[in-house]
Amino acid sequence: MGNLRRLVLDVLKPLDPGVVTLVQLLADLEGVDGVNISLSEIDRRVENVKITIEGRSLSYEMIKGIVEENGGAIHSVDEVAAGNLLIEDVATTQD
Amino acid sequence: MEGHRDGMGLLAQGVNHLREYSRIAGVAEIARRYFAMNAFDGVLTTIGILMGSYIGGVRDARSVIHIGVATSISMGVSGLWGAYLTEAAERQRELVELERLSFTDQRKTKIGRASRLAVVIVALVDGLAPCLAALVVLVPLFVASLIGNILVSYALSLVVALIGLFGLGMFLGHISGRSLIGYGLRTLVAGLVSIALSFLLDRAGI
Repeated sequence: MGNLRRLVLDVLKPLDPGVVTLVQLLADLEGVDGVNISLSEIDRRVENVKITIEGRSLSYEMIKGIVEENGGAIHSVDEVAAGNLLIEDVATTQD
Repeated sequence: MEGHRDGMGLLAQGVNHLREYSRIAGVAEIARRYFAMNAFDGVLTTIGILMGSYIGGVRDARSVIHIGVATSISMGVSGLWGAYLTEAAERQRELVELERLSFTDQRKTKIGRASRLAVVIVALVDGLAPCLAALVVLVPLFVASLIGNILVSYALSLVVALIGLFGLGMFLGHISGRSLIGYGLRTLVAGLVSIALSFLLDRAGI
């Protein structure tokens, strides 16, 4: 199976543990080169965040495990990329 | 050597987990509050026992110790039980609300574990604080045979109680970042008022 290179996740999580903790926990995973978490929406107890992870060989199960261990739930996988070459989304005429 | 390093690594990991759980569940703040409040109760209750025994003419240290220890145990059990039930109910409510908002079962997450740990720590603090505070105040009575005079033991126990109250006040002053002496005096006055009221009741013949 091809190596997973990029994942973009829509996650709903409690405010605590915060995004600073979560981003570091994800960055510590094997095969991860970098992580970005950006805030989409915030409520009194929970927040919606977009998590972008890139690496040489990502493990979706381990990433999901870290998110869930910290009280979050993956709502959707918005983008995935795998293989030797990292391919960006291409704009088409229909777009 | 390798095993020792592994052991230290596990210990450090355990301490880090405890710190993180404590931060998530806000344990330090609530435990601090319970500690000060219940130690204060423990000291004042023991002042009541000392004054009641002294005014009632009890001149046998063992009798005062029996009453004091039994009361401190009851305060400990009461604190432990009360705080466990209250805190567990409160934390459960918070967890259910979070589960409702996040559409996730939080029991097996870090948040659920932190919540359960908080209940245990807060209950222990709530139970041990008044019990230990009362026992410390009774120390001069435990060593009454060495002191030789029960009246001196009573006086020393009251001095320990007042010093304890002053110390608790200073602790509160330290938390609030305000005057240590000012807070110390405020808690000290509570002890002095208790002692004075006991004497006044005795004078009034009650």
